[in-house]
Amino acid sequence: MRPNRPVYLDNQATTPMDQRVLAAMLPWFTERFGNPHSAEHGMGLEAEAAVETARGEIAALIGAEAREIVLTSGATESNNIAIKGAARFALQAGRERRRLITVATEHKCVLESVADMAAEGFEPVVLPVRPDGRLDPAVLADALAVPTLLVSVMAVNNETGVIQDIPALAALARAHGALFHTDAAQAAGKIPIDVAGIDLLSLSGHKLYGPKGVGALYVRRRPRVRLAPLFSGGGQERGLRAGTLATPLIVGFGEACRLARAEMAADEARIAGLRQRLLDGLAVPVTINGSVQDRVAGNLNLTFEAPALTMLRAMPDLCVSTGSACSSAAIEPSYVLRALGLDNGAAQRTLRIGLGRFTSPADVDFAAKALSEAARVAVTATAGAEF
Amino acid sequence: MPKMTFIEKNGAPREVEAPLGLSVLEIAHKYDIDIEGACEGSLACSTCHVIVDAAWFPKLAKPTEDEEDMLDLAFGLQETSRLGCQIVMTPALDGLVVKLPASTKNAGG
Repeated sequence: MRPNRPVYLDNQATTPMDQRVLAAMLPWFTERFGNPHSAEHGMGLEAEAAVETARGEIAALIGAEAREIVLTSGATESNNIAIKGAARFALQAGRERRRLITVATEHKCVLESVADMAAEGFEPVVLPVRPDGRLDPAVLADALAVPTLLVSVMAVNNETGVIQDIPALAALARAHGALFHTDAAQAAGKIPIDVAGIDLLSLSGHKLYGPKGVGALYVRRRPRVRLAPLFSGGGQERGLRAGTLATPLIVGFGEACRLARAEMAADEARIAGLRQRLLDGLAVPVTINGSVQDRVAGNLNLTFEAPALTMLRAMPDLCVSTGSACSSAAIEPSYVLRALGLDNGAAQRTLRIGLGRFTSPADVDFAAKALSEAARVAVTATAGAEF
Repeated sequence: MPKMTFIEKNGAPREVEAPLGLSVLEIAHKYDIDIEGACEGSLACSTCHVIVDAAWFPKLAKPTEDEEDMLDLAFGLQETSRLGCQIVMTPALDGLVVKLPASTKNAGG
């Protein structure tokens, strides 16, 4: 039987917005539309107060101070400001360090930001991961033997859900005098995060049941981390991010962070149970890619015996993906899975499944059945095509 | 009396007498050295931005958060940048060397 609407298990691409978030946002689109930078009248001031309350909620989710939060359009912008901003500031301040270290499984916007800095005289270094998807601290220590300006390692991978040991890696970077940045877009609201020992941290609204088009960058104040801004403008956000703040989006992001802080533990426990239920319900052989232990509760990255694209065509009512949405314009196999050691064939038989706050037991039962049937059909179809 | 040296924008060093208890900004004004100090030392601009000689930088008291906030807005910030109004002459700073930046920006508007 077909469901009333598609079953959505792609919560690492984006999450549905929580109705409570939407309710908090709505007044700020219409009757409370003031510019938060208009300090001369009441409507501006109330918008500013709403933005500052939201900033406090965002900060609280990661153990930061409100004034350490720079509001942006999302994690891609935050990552660009962190990496390019730190590199360019260091250059203009006369620092000699040129090495920028990141990891092969990072989001494209981190890999590309680091790569782009080569044209400005920096030395990008991309480290490999172990087959379980984690960065070996010894590999980072070796790379830090050359004086390094910045290390950027994501907290949770967007395809595999694998959690890096951020406190240990950050401590290593600091011990070598390097700045440490983490893209925590996939981690916030899923696992506890504390900025202790971290210099720069990126967040995204729409990965934690908030709106798209808003994010944040944590910038440490003690000791002060300084960045060169990417935008020229009116000096908003401590001069780091010029432009009028999007009050409704920021209010929604703040509410999403507040809910995440209150409900994360219960959500994750329930989601872990659903993930097990999905795995138990699969009637075909699968391999789980990436560490099972060091992984967020909502993610499964599974290699089947059948081509993923054929499977996807066989289950139009199930929303899962072959890799990250960010690279989906390309049909080449996932570079993240290749970094874990999967060959192209295995990567092309792999699906990312992302459970979330609004996933129900009925959803996972439907998914287990649909995946199993699609895999059987696709294996048969592929075998037939070979003869 | 202690002394200190300003490296002027053209690179020329200028050694002056540095009375104890005066700030680097006040000392500069005493000798007509070209540091603006638009807010007169009230931590509301960043026009008294100076670049402290690397050997002297660790000997200064650490900047306050308010000074760091103003430095965030200074033009051409360097690793050893400070605000001249916040460096007060002590016997331990006898011989201090600071450089004037190429330009400054009044963050107070």
